[in-house]
Amino acid sequence: MCEHPPSAAPGLPQYPGAERLVESVAGQALALRGLTKVFDGRTVVDHIDLDVPAGSFFGLVGPNGAGKTTTLSMVTGLLRPDGGRVVLAGVDVWADPVTAKTRMGVLPDGLRLFERLSGSELLSYIGRLRGIDAATVRSRAAELMAVLDLADAGTKLVADYSTGMRKKITLAAALLHSPPVLLLDEPLEAVDPVSARAIRTVLTRYTQAGGTVVFSSHVMALVENLCSHVAVMSRGRIVAAGVVAEVRGAAPSLEDAFLHLVGADDAGMGGLQWLGSSSG
Amino acid sequence: MVGVFVGLKWRLVTSRIRATRGGTRAALIVGWCLAVVALGLVVFGLVLLRSRPDAAVVAVSTLFSAQFLSWGLAPLVAFGVDETVDPSRFALLPLRPATLQRGLLATALVGYLPVANLVLLLGAAVALSPRWWMLLLAVPCAVVQLILCVTFSRALSTAMSGLMSGRRGRDLGVMVGFAVFVLYMGLSWTLNRAGSSVGLQGGLTTVGRSLAWGPPGALAALPSRVADGRWAAAGIGLLTVLVALALLWWWWAAALRRSLTTVPSTTEGSAPAHASASGTVAADVTGTMWLMVQRDRVLAWRDPMRRAPWLIVAFLSIVWPLLVIRGAGAVFGVVLAAVLAGTQAGNQYGTEGSALWLHMVAFADRMRARGEALGHAVFALIPGVAIVVVACTVLSVIRSELHLLPAALGVCLGALTGSTAMAGYLSARVPFAARQSRTSMFAGSIPGQKARTAGAGFAIFGAGVAAAVVPGLLTVLALTTNPVWGWVALVVGPAVGVAAILLFTRAQARTYLARTPEILAVVAVGDRS
Repeated sequence: MCEHPPSAAPGLPQYPGAERLVESVAGQALALRGLTKVFDGRTVVDHIDLDVPAGSFFGLVGPNGAGKTTTLSMVTGLLRPDGGRVVLAGVDVWADPVTAKTRMGVLPDGLRLFERLSGSELLSYIGRLRGIDAATVRSRAAELMAVLDLADAGTKLVADYSTGMRKKITLAAALLHSPPVLLLDEPLEAVDPVSARAIRTVLTRYTQAGGTVVFSSHVMALVENLCSHVAVMSRGRIVAAGVVAEVRGAAPSLEDAFLHLVGADDAGMGGLQWLGSSSG
Repeated sequence: MVGVFVGLKWRLVTSRIRATRGGTRAALIVGWCLAVVALGLVVFGLVLLRSRPDAAVVAVSTLFSAQFLSWGLAPLVAFGVDETVDPSRFALLPLRPATLQRGLLATALVGYLPVANLVLLLGAAVALSPRWWMLLLAVPCAVVQLILCVTFSRALSTAMSGLMSGRRGRDLGVMVGFAVFVLYMGLSWTLNRAGSSVGLQGGLTTVGRSLAWGPPGALAALPSRVADGRWAAAGIGLLTVLVALALLWWWWAAALRRSLTTVPSTTEGSAPAHASASGTVAADVTGTMWLMVQRDRVLAWRDPMRRAPWLIVAFLSIVWPLLVIRGAGAVFGVVLAAVLAGTQAGNQYGTEGSALWLHMVAFADRMRARGEALGHAVFALIPGVAIVVVACTVLSVIRSELHLLPAALGVCLGALTGSTAMAGYLSARVPFAARQSRTSMFAGSIPGQKARTAGAGFAIFGAGVAAAVVPGLLTVLALTTNPVWGWVALVVGPAVGVAAILLFTRAQARTYLARTPEILAVVAVGDRS
């Protein structure tokens, strides 16, 4: 029998037997139950269950089209799920979005910013929109920009920022209200090594201070190096999840374990015998 | 190789037609038929000029010069509409610049516009040939004119391609587009005012005669100069054309080489922007509203695509009533600008594009959602009210209709506030994507969202008209019974509109919060266009 949480608004995605879900996942920074999304009859995210422990550095990995961005979009409230529930820092994201917004910092992939604001103006605007007083916003923004090596670009319009700078200013906006959970979609994709180092350092400091980072990536070496926990997605499902060492198992590296899990051991093999056999 | 380029352009042109379906295709065909009829009328007019050789040379010289200038401006205003204008798209092809240049010339000659221009030019050739043998000269002159125009246009757009593919170049394009619009309206107004005055006609004739010495004008004058035996003038004209053509070809080649071998750096070194010293915080509805007004003001000031409509509204508010309403009551013509000003509060979420996510992750409460809606409305009302008040006052003074001022202000402010209210509500109810890359000032709505865009536009206009009905009726009373009803209209018009804004922003906030992910999905499509 389907029981709905009493606080849920009509039309929100539900999960069977979920009235005690929020209490049962206490201690988890993020808990997904039966999360589902269907586009044009194709199930892109297929009844996902996932627990992200508080204080963990959690990597969500998977090949292109596995459903990572769709999952994170549903967790952050940018995409409405067709089923299931998302509990973030003790709050149901879709039943109580007002509180949920205060507990998450978000860095999506491929979405625009307010391009004609400068970096400092963007942070000032977002901070004040969140209701933080102007003096606090100013001091936090200045610190974040200095740590992320954006101090010199503070007066430059976001429209003129490089990819790395855009990721960094978005991360600064996500950290501004000091949320307990950060949700980052490909934060290091197409970022130069200097910016990548700055982002990694800030994220490591954030988890050391008790925050939880959930981020998606293709780069296994990065996930293996940075994360305490990992979940592997393939074709809309979680095929493995847990502490990195457990998921890696006996495989020589996380990448080998990943390729085995997603059934791509023989990727790039077969055919091409003609390659290099003639000059013509 | 030229054949390959022609084939490519032909496929680009035909694939656009194949991509259309049903109603769109029917509308396209009707549009073409209308364009063919209009072109036919112009060509017919040109052919009639054949019986007045003097006037024909002056008129065609002016036409050729205007056509030359238009071809130069077109890519600046609409860069990106024709994919073959941007040379960087061909940078990786293993072609020598000379081969590429000939190929690009061929692509520029394929399409509706070149064909329409050629038909127009052939009509002009007939106009320039009072004796039929002169067609042997006039037709080649017309063809050379087309090549001259295309070469100039491509040379200019290639030279500016680095700039046009960057933010600043597109900003420049928007402002040039606005300048062209103002120039057109100004010219139209001047001609309207002057009517058939002999002085103006004499001036135009002098200008036409002077233009006959420029490269396009020289082509128009060549057949008559040869026919009259003015060999020196014909020789100088021919030389002018050849030198201009050679120089333009050389300029185009140089620009093409440069654009294929250097990286544009036009997005570097943006205009300095200073951090805001404002302390407004979204702690309540009013705080959120003013925060939004401040942000909209900064964005509109820095973004020509947001600023240009305001310039057009301000310009239309005075010029349009003067142009259209000759008799009494011109001051009521400001109502068009008032409704247009209200539409500036429209499609609020579409204007943000996918950047809407920044708001979505920052808040989900009704207080801020309503503050945001009110902020956008107030931002449209501040300049809107200023424009309406100034325009109504100026027009009533110019036309000596000060007694109509209170009623006109009531009607116009009612229309402004009414359309603003509806524009805000429809932003959440019927959002549509706005093109974010903006390769052209004239790029239309996003494919697949045309009906939604048009529907929202009509509804906003309708709401403006509806809000103006009550003050309009009071105006009728003022004109027929007692002028005091004009003052009543001045109070009632804005009061009804403001009440509508307060009511509609509540509904807007509710709708926005209930449909935010769906709104993001619709408006984010603009990122890819």
